[in-house]
Amino acid sequence: MNSGHKQVKRMTAFMRINHWVVAICMVAAVLTGLYIGHPYYQTLMADGAVDKYVMAWNRWIHFMSAIIFDVSSIVVFYLYFFSRFEKPYKKLIPSLKNIKEFFNVFVNLVTLNRVKKFDSSHADSFNAVFFFIFHLLLVWMLLSGLQMYVHGLASGISAIGAWWPALLHLATDWTVTVTGGSLMDVRIWHHYSMYAIIVWTMFHIYYQVWRTIFWKEGDIAIVIGGSKFVKEDKQ
Amino acid sequence: MSDRMEGVKKLFESKSARVETNRGDAYYSRLFEQCQARLGELRAQEPLNRLDFSELLAEQGTDRRDFMKWVSATTAMLMLPPMFAPLVAEAAELMNRAPVIWLELQDCAGNSEALLRSDGPKIEEIVLDIISLEFHETLMAPSGHQAEKQLEDAMEHFKGKYLLFVEGSIPVGAGKDWCTIGASGENFVDHLTRVAEGAAAVVAVGACATFGGIPAAAPNPTGAVGVMDVIKGKPVINIPACPANPANMVGVVLHYILTGQIPELDSLLRPKFAFGYRIHDNCERRAHFDAGEYVEEWGDAGAKNNFCLYKMGCKGPMTFNNCSIVRYNEGVNWPIGVGRGCIGCSEPDFWDKYAYERPMADAKIKAPTGGVEKSVDEFGLGLLTAAGIGIAIHAAASAIAGKKEDGGEA
Repeated sequence: MNSGHKQVKRMTAFMRINHWVVAICMVAAVLTGLYIGHPYYQTLMADGAVDKYVMAWNRWIHFMSAIIFDVSSIVVFYLYFFSRFEKPYKKLIPSLKNIKEFFNVFVNLVTLNRVKKFDSSHADSFNAVFFFIFHLLLVWMLLSGLQMYVHGLASGISAIGAWWPALLHLATDWTVTVTGGSLMDVRIWHHYSMYAIIVWTMFHIYYQVWRTIFWKEGDIAIVIGGSKFVKEDKQ
Repeated sequence: MSDRMEGVKKLFESKSARVETNRGDAYYSRLFEQCQARLGELRAQEPLNRLDFSELLAEQGTDRRDFMKWVSATTAMLMLPPMFAPLVAEAAELMNRAPVIWLELQDCAGNSEALLRSDGPKIEEIVLDIISLEFHETLMAPSGHQAEKQLEDAMEHFKGKYLLFVEGSIPVGAGKDWCTIGASGENFVDHLTRVAEGAAAVVAVGACATFGGIPAAAPNPTGAVGVMDVIKGKPVINIPACPANPANMVGVVLHYILTGQIPELDSLLRPKFAFGYRIHDNCERRAHFDAGEYVEEWGDAGAKNNFCLYKMGCKGPMTFNNCSIVRYNEGVNWPIGVGRGCIGCSEPDFWDKYAYERPMADAKIKAPTGGVEKSVDEFGLGLLTAAGIGIAIHAAASAIAGKKEDGGEA
């Protein structure tokens, strides 16, 4: 450890594992989702249909990654309020202190680190809001995706019982109405939202790298080792 | 937006989209008795025309056995157990007790054509021939004031009893004043509202009458809407598709004759017996979809091998209709069977949102920014490019400005 620097724990082991599970799921969901929206590679004509199951496997991977994604989001939602490490909801409350911190971090970003009037040793409101947007996008993907999924359960029965499609209808039928009234609108908005998530990810990666370079506190290491380094005199 | 809020409210109030195929013995024996009583009442009534169903069948060369085959299929289509078959047969024979008024508004008469122009006399046609069609602008001999007199008489005589079939959309925007009908120049909204007043139920037939259809496609110059947006406080049954399948029209009328009630409807007021299932799940090319075998262009090896039409824009996966099961023209064929994709004609806004004949991701539809028509992917890539440029500018500016270790004023 550098002298004059202090190690600060920022992510627990569980949070880091969750981060990478989600990252892998996202890549898998985008790659398979693009195939489902428009099959962009072709299967070998010479093979019999029974030997290949390309769309079905793509959908399988898409649904599996979506379910892992969604379940991890439910856990993250729980941790928002009940984490013993840090409770992110505290940074989301629009209190004067949080709003001030949000703008200070934002100003730091747009002034290219010329102005830095906040404590970077702990999670800040700017990142908390940024991640909250991501979680809202995920909830939207979950609900719009399950709406499309339940179309195939028209019989009202499923492998796990009749309660599942009934619950899906109850929880997701509103997505049809708010997107424009047809099943196609849900698909279109599910597809658009994927691009929003990719844009989100681009900025997320860029910002972490930028912080690492400009703040010189080793931020990029948080997601691997769980901690970063802050100058002693700041504490 | 207020429309959409209204829709959300309706969704939560409406019954789930679940299709109940087995409601248990107690339900069916009670229904059986109700239907029997209802048919007894109808039989006691004076027929409205002198057409006799069995004579008609014999004239057209359909024997009793063919008729009973049709009865079994129709009973199954209505999701009733086999014990209802004799009642369905009886109901078909009693169809001449059902007064029907048929209105044509903004449309191409395609649904009337679908009824009339199949390649031979089908049982569905015969059944629909003997319903007491009291008024149908396209088919009737009188015109002008004479035709209107006939409509008035029918409305007066069968008040509260007739089924009103509507074909075509209703202009409520700019077109409200210039779309008029009849010798008195009544506009479509008034015409429909007046005739619907005394109807037992209103049946909207075809994509236009149900959801506005092609007249309502962007930019919707006349402000066209479907029947359910105009008629309030009356049972409305939607039989969408372009054209509506005669089998489903017969199904709805038969259900009405049999039970005196309208069939169970989904949230878009479509009968669940016909629109409860997705085309995709009963498609004969579904295995090719799962295998990833797609027609890449018209006439290629995939097309010759009946591969899946998804990449040619088939909308079977998002369309609920029974045409993959009952097909058209007495089961002869249907769109996917002839090698072209589904265009989703039984769904709302199908012309703008389904019928562009390429996968949704490539469709030129209005971007959320409005105005420019782009494919979903083009818009998405534009968004990614904008984000990339933003990041690049920030990164370049950061690099030029140099690092600042401590923060604070430079």
